[in-house]
Amino acid sequence: MGIPKRKNMINVYGGKDTYQGEGILKRREELLDMITKSDSFLPDSILHDDLDRGMLDYVKNTFKVVSDGVQIPVIDKILTIQRWGEFSNNWEFSDSDGNVKLPFITIIRKPDVQYGTNPSIQRTIPDRHQFHYATVPTWNGNSMGADIYKIPQPIPCDITYDITIVCNKFRDLNKFNKLVLQNFSSKQDYTQVKGHYIPIILDTIEDNTPMETIDGRRFYMQNYKCIMLGFLIDSDEFEVKPAINRSFIINESMGGGSSLNKKIINKSVDIVISTVIADGIRSMFTVGETITVLFNVAINGIVQQKDVHYSHLGGTSNIIFSGTPLQGDVITVSYYKGKNNKMYDQHGNELQLGRESFIYNTLNLTFTLSEKVSSMISVTTNGLVEYGDDNYIIIGKDTIELTGEPVYGSKIDFVYLY
Amino acid sequence: MNNKLPITRLGKFFSQDDFDINIQMGQEYLHGDLNMKLVLYRVDRQKTDNDDVYAEVGMDEIKFFPPVEFNALVKIEEPKNSSYTKGLMRYNEPGNMTLSVYITHLNELGVDIRYGDYIGYADSEEKLRYYTVTNDGRITSDNKHKMFGYKPHYRSIVCAPTQEGEFRGV
Repeated sequence: MGIPKRKNMINVYGGKDTYQGEGILKRREELLDMITKSDSFLPDSILHDDLDRGMLDYVKNTFKVVSDGVQIPVIDKILTIQRWGEFSNNWEFSDSDGNVKLPFITIIRKPDVQYGTNPSIQRTIPDRHQFHYATVPTWNGNSMGADIYKIPQPIPCDITYDITIVCNKFRDLNKFNKLVLQNFSSKQDYTQVKGHYIPIILDTIEDNTPMETIDGRRFYMQNYKCIMLGFLIDSDEFEVKPAINRSFIINESMGGGSSLNKKIINKSVDIVISTVIADGIRSMFTVGETITVLFNVAINGIVQQKDVHYSHLGGTSNIIFSGTPLQGDVITVSYYKGKNNKMYDQHGNELQLGRESFIYNTLNLTFTLSEKVSSMISVTTNGLVEYGDDNYIIIGKDTIELTGEPVYGSKIDFVYLY
Repeated sequence: MNNKLPITRLGKFFSQDDFDINIQMGQEYLHGDLNMKLVLYRVDRQKTDNDDVYAEVGMDEIKFFPPVEFNALVKIEEPKNSSYTKGLMRYNEPGNMTLSVYITHLNELGVDIRYGDYIGYADSEEKLRYYTVTNDGRITSDNKHKMFGYKPHYRSIVCAPTQEGEFRGV
């Protein structure tokens, strides 16, 4: 059986470039701003009380019925079991006996909230899987990077409300009923909760008027049962993870004179360090952008030898290992990504990349390079990175001295700019 | 301005003086002999900050006016032995409390008892129980609450026991 065909592109704007006179992109940005207005990038939480508030606002703003020149009041709270709260919410329109004056409209929520029946967000994605929501650039003063914001699929929920009008005039019933039917003429209407449009369906209309009461109090009471097809978004479930970071590395620079002189380069070469975790299957890895000048490739901190352990074709983004790195190995690629392969120092002088190797023979810890060092990229002993000040010092313009003695026959590699 | 209607019914054999002296004698018995004291906590509905949607408050967040001690005839029903679900999760709590309080007494104290207010009543020296008013007995138009059909003289107030999570007098 073949894979079912899926429609990948649904043209919701009828093939037009505009929506209600505005550009589609602008409309999309407007919608995104509405649902993320309280912070920068993530949507606001929508929980039960937000949905209840949305329902109260919907009824209060939509069903405005005027009776005898006065708008029928809507009790603007979901009444609960705390008795004093009931009175405190209707004291404004209570009589001298403490009873609510007729007419009035109240909203009663059924306490049980059922799993949602909204077909667009039903059980389609299992296990609260997190999905990409936004990629947000970050800058901490030293390194530029990005955070990946993920959220799980919202949970659908159905909330049932009884909108009840209690009055003593048939005309008030008619006015209210007309408004309800007009608003639900397409079966559903919408309320807006934190920028999201939440559908409300009119389920049933029933009359609970105690008509048969001959001796008792007479009034009209009608229930409009509505179901809100809501969904829950909980900010506690959001996930923020850092993506690949780009770092500025401050390099030591050689100055004039015979004595050691260190200074910080104001405009250092922008070096990208990209980290990938091996899956034990692939031998080719990509950094996602063109590598103009490749400095080092390391596996678990051990610098690999080009054309021996790996290969890289200039101008591409791929690193191809001769073997397959083990699952979980950390592959670090440091490179220069420029528009072309030209690098310049802070004075505008063009820089070249130098690579030199020496074999330690116990005679001398000092190594003289063939070019004048402008910036040292890395010093490695048998693939292990040596750190400046602790493990080596730069003497003069082209001489490096190790502070510790390596094992006889060790291979010392220098990568530098000149 | 409220119109005041003089009550002249039963005038040939009952008057305001008779009404007052009956109340005084009743109060002498109720306040002097029985001396059942209760504490009324009137909820300050304006100063109590409640929830925007549900009008609820959390524990110890109900603001109330200074408690007032008052006298009433107290009747408490037998405790109920119940369970939350099909015989499991048993709970046992006092029955409802019905108070009979003189309207004159409330007027003298300058207080009114309203639906949802709280009332404390001491079971023993160590145990003070709180009840919430479920029927404030404001309507006293029936013959029972009128002294010989002349004027209402007392209110019957029904209260249900509260949980500590709802109210505990602080």
